Amino acid sequence: MIEENQQSDAELIELAKNDPENFGFLMERYQAPLFGYIRRLTQLGNDDIQDLLQEVFIKIYQKLNEYDEELKFSSWAYRIAHNHVIDYFRKTSSRPQTNSLEDYEWERIITASVHIEKDIVNKDCVEKVKSCIAKLPLKYREVLILRFVEEKEYEEIMDILKKPKGSVATLISRGKEMLNTNMKRENINCF
Amino acid sequence: MNNLIKDTIGKIKKEHIKPTQKWKFLVKKYSTWLLFGLIVFFGGISFSVAFYLMSSLDWDLYRFVHQNIFSYSLSIFPYFWAFILAVIAFAAFFDLRKTQMGYRFSFAKILVSTFGAIVVLGALLSYLNLGRNFNNMMTNGVPFYGQHMMVTKESQWTNPAGGFLSGTISSYSADNIELIDFSGKKWEIKIDEKTLIRTRAEISNGQMIKIIGTKIDEHVFQAIEIRPWNGMGQGMMGGGRGQMGR
Repeated sequence: MIEENQQSDAELIELAKNDPENFGFLMERYQAPLFGYIRRLTQLGNDDIQDLLQEVFIKIYQKLNEYDEELKFSSWAYRIAHNHVIDYFRKTSSRPQTNSLEDYEWERIITASVHIEKDIVNKDCVEKVKSCIAKLPLKYREVLILRFVEEKEYEEIMDILKKPKGSVATLISRGKEMLNTNMKRENINCF
Repeated sequence: MNNLIKDTIGKIKKEHIKPTQKWKFLVKKYSTWLLFGLIVFFGGISFSVAFYLMSSLDWDLYRFVHQNIFSYSLSIFPYFWAFILAVIAFAAFFDLRKTQMGYRFSFAKILVSTFGAIVVLGALLSYLNLGRNFNNMMTNGVPFYGQHMMVTKESQWTNPAGGFLSGTISSYSADNIELIDFSGKKWEIKIDEKTLIRTRAEISNGQMIKIIGTKIDEHVFQAIEIRPWNGMGQGMMGGGRGQMGR
């Protein structure tokens, strides 16, 4: 019996290569974070997210031999999920939906992007800011989600998006800047 | 969510999905690096040819064509190889970015390291005379290259109407040199007491020389200055003929 909690990701990968049953341990470890990530990028129903997640896991399984231990497994798995979601949007020609974050997740982005001295207590205000964040292009919104909701380090975001550190920093800073500009344009000044 | 795990493993088993074999990823990975190596190698060759061309040209001729050094330099700059080098640098950048960890390096880092590798390799190839050999190969094998795409030493010195002539000495006397140019045409080169013969220019049969002067007839050229084929023959013997007849 394998005690999956004590095994490292690399060890579980080796086990999964020999027996797909063992891949279940990796799936168990990463299904919740990847489910959340896909949910935040899209706003599909649970069933659709599960379908996408299954496709992501099958891709991960097929690419197990490509995994390089220089990367964190989670970053590599997020990267595959990111690419799969982008492909999905491309194929369906749809845009990610806008209201895909929980309230506490919106607040994290708002707090990180806007100078707030008070707690966010005004629900209406949060709603207005949400609409501004929702208007951001996907590349900015995604990087803000990764940084402030998923709380990923810069290096991890680099590995997920396959972009150099400078580009990641620029995306984050421009995303925050665009959010501030949108808020000024919409006359949102309720903090 | 547990159903997802069961369903996924069930699907993997049912459809006999297997992890793609490692060698396929390795082939992809190493072919990208091999391509990068080839790009740098061709960059090194381009650099060594460009370096050879620039070092073999006489950069002081602007004085004789009534240009300033800047516009003269622009007129003889090896644009073809500079363009090839730029293309190569961009190809190397995009190729390196395709590698597993290539995205971790910034554009500037990749460009500097690629150019660094090209310059080091180019210097080594120049040391081995590969730049000169490759340029000769191009000049002989690709006529358009030597005539129109590049200012080579040969093209720079095959312009009698413009005052520049070169070739091999077939015979000489005190005031005359008989010269055969690159196209096989015979020239009578007139020299007088005003003709400057550079110290390292050797006036003897079979020697190659470069001449600055004036074309005065279809086969006659008045020499103002004579230089050795290689280099500018620095160190002057003003008005003298110290190197004649050795």
